Amino acid sequence: MDSATFLAKVGEYQKGGWRLALINVTTVMAPTAPKHGAAANEEDPDEPTTPAAEAPGVFEIAWAFAKGSDLELIREQITVGDAVPSISEFFGAAFLYENEIRELFGINVTGLNLDLQGQLYQTATKIPFSHQAVKARLAATAAAALAATTAPAAGAAGPAATAASEKNA
Amino acid sequence: MKTTVVPFGPQHPVLPEPLVLDLILQDEKVVDAIPTIGYIHRGLEMMVERVEYTEMGFVVERICGICSFMHGMGYCVSLESIMGVEIPERAAWLRLIWAEISRIQSHLLWLGLGADAFGFENLFMHCWRMREEILDIFEKTTGGRIIHSVNRIGGVKRDMSDTELAAILVQLQDLGKEFKKTAHVFGTDPSINHRLGGVGILSMEDAAAVDCVGPMARASGLAVDTRLAGKNYYDRIEFEPMVETAGDCLARVVVRMREIEQSIDIIRQAIEKMPKGDDQALEIRPRGNPQGEVFTRLEQPRGEVLYYVKANGTKNLERFRARTPTFANIPAMIKLVKGSDLADVPNIILTIDPCISCTER
Repeated sequence: MDSATFLAKVGEYQKGGWRLALINVTTVMAPTAPKHGAAANEEDPDEPTTPAAEAPGVFEIAWAFAKGSDLELIREQITVGDAVPSISEFFGAAFLYENEIRELFGINVTGLNLDLQGQLYQTATKIPFSHQAVKARLAATAAAALAATTAPAAGAAGPAATAASEKNA
Repeated sequence: MKTTVVPFGPQHPVLPEPLVLDLILQDEKVVDAIPTIGYIHRGLEMMVERVEYTEMGFVVERICGICSFMHGMGYCVSLESIMGVEIPERAAWLRLIWAEISRIQSHLLWLGLGADAFGFENLFMHCWRMREEILDIFEKTTGGRIIHSVNRIGGVKRDMSDTELAAILVQLQDLGKEFKKTAHVFGTDPSINHRLGGVGILSMEDAAAVDCVGPMARASGLAVDTRLAGKNYYDRIEFEPMVETAGDCLARVVVRMREIEQSIDIIRQAIEKMPKGDDQALEIRPRGNPQGEVFTRLEQPRGEVLYYVKANGTKNLERFRARTPTFANIPAMIKLVKGSDLADVPNIILTIDPCISCTER
């Protein structure tokens, strides 16, 4: 992301009397590696796609500003490790959201006006919404679902097998 | 001057929820406050990965036991918006009525806690006795005193008959008359005035600078109220946000007391305007899985709550985020605590009506 352009946009919201309503992050679990710039518009069916496991982690960040009944957004997509500038020089309450996205998503926010040094949340999982953590949970959920579907089938086979063996006897 | 660090919380008599403020003191003055939360962080937002969207509403309303109804409502409104569902008119009115009943019970609960914090125990008991009547109404109409589970994606599960609504209105108006006596004590008692008047002043400029919401902002002169956007049938109700200008702890008490009376009037208007008859549709069940995203804003008792929901066409949502009013008001609380006397810190913290349970969703 272009920090200067982004901060200029944020400054306009502040001057316009908007209120910071939310900084939201979504961990994007894309099936293929995202393309950037001109490559994003190219259509080449023969080009091999990068498997999800090898794709760089992507986060979608939305800064939501409210004024009366209106809500406007600035959206950016970043990859893991990209620096995101703090907007706390414009919005005094931003530090709380920024500390949060750093602790829960591992996003590198620079220039915080109040750095809580990773002590805002006491979570059992360190960076619970990192790509690795989300992938691990989704895999565990899928495995549990698979186990749940196979377990009743084995149970159902049990009485039938018993009945068959009784008949043979 | 010697600097002392006093940890406030995670367990404190005025705040039965775990919030820590490391208060940095010079003599008796607080010069800085560093917050720590997360002691009871439950990761409810993470549960969307394994709980289907149709069941997630029951999880969301458990974010908080005080704002339970409105959390459930906010979740359902978000999904209805994504799925293009317009709920039946009677269901929308019923939601509005329950939402305002929630506001009354939340404010009565908080006024009681406030009275307890500044040492006025029988005032605390009066407030909570009145709150019990509100919980009785909830129990009678939803089946639950704390967790109601009446919101569905597409409407509501239970109806209130016209005679039941008329009886509830009479009960609330009687409660309103009784509450005036309690409000008179809050407004005129010299000891309350001494403890809260002129303490923890948040100016209008400061409230705007830290993006304050709810009664906290309105007590500092900011006329912000998400209900003014007119969504969820509030456009059919005549009301003005309750605004005070003093910005101190007492102003925050007064705003909430006035909002109790206002909510009773809003309920009266809703009962008068809603379509009559007990045989109307209450729910339109959406089909398929949601796809899209939405930001939903509601005015909870403590202020604006904001939900972000992103759905990808599967049974599980991709992202669910609830930004609660307490989270939005923590920066204001820190600003207020700085420069205050240590003895005033409990009252200042309490007058933002902090709900750590909501914040630790």
